Amino acid sequence: MPTYELGLVLTPELEGEERDAFLGEVRQLIAGAGGEILKEDDWGKRSLAYPINHKRDGFYTFWTFLAPGTVVAPLEYKLRISDHVLRHLVLNMDRELRRSHKMERVRTARKVKKAAVSPPALAAAMAEGE
Amino acid sequence: MGKKKFFVKRKKVCKFSAEGIEYIDYKDVELLRQYTPVAGKILPRRVSGTNPIYQRKLTRAIKRARLMALLPFVGD
Repeated sequence: MPTYELGLVLTPELEGEERDAFLGEVRQLIAGAGGEILKEDDWGKRSLAYPINHKRDGFYTFWTFLAPGTVVAPLEYKLRISDHVLRHLVLNMDRELRRSHKMERVRTARKVKKAAVSPPALAAAMAEGE
Repeated sequence: MGKKKFFVKRKKVCKFSAEGIEYIDYKDVELLRQYTPVAGKILPRRVSGTNPIYQRKLTRAIKRARLMALLPFVGD
């Protein structure tokens, strides 16, 4: 299951219990599809860089969650038709970080190769790895 | 006879390869603001010295931030 990152901008008018209720629905949708929310990062109310629907502020929240790919389409559908959501963005973090993971593998491979040529470098690479 | 014009060339460095930042997060507004100095435009590579790989990632991050109203499309 890939790791996803969800960015949400909600209307500032949605507050307190109403907001919790809406976010609860979103949580349930993710959990219902066999997903697991790893992190929720609330930024709270923040002024928008430009007005959206005549609103100057938005409630920002960013979640990291683990879920099967089948969750994305219904999730985006829900966010798109909801009047509470000003903006949303779902990113597949595995895909986003693929290059840096690859670079990490290349670097370790390089170290191992270097170590095979000279044994002292092996010890150094091992020490660095720990 | 005019004075010969000369200027000191400053060495430009790519912040991302220098600091080993591999993923540019669209949520890191402080960082992205450094690359959108005037009118919210993206600073070109020839000015900032960013490597091509990171310039592309930076561009994507800035565009995402704009979509989420973290950065302006047009500045003042």
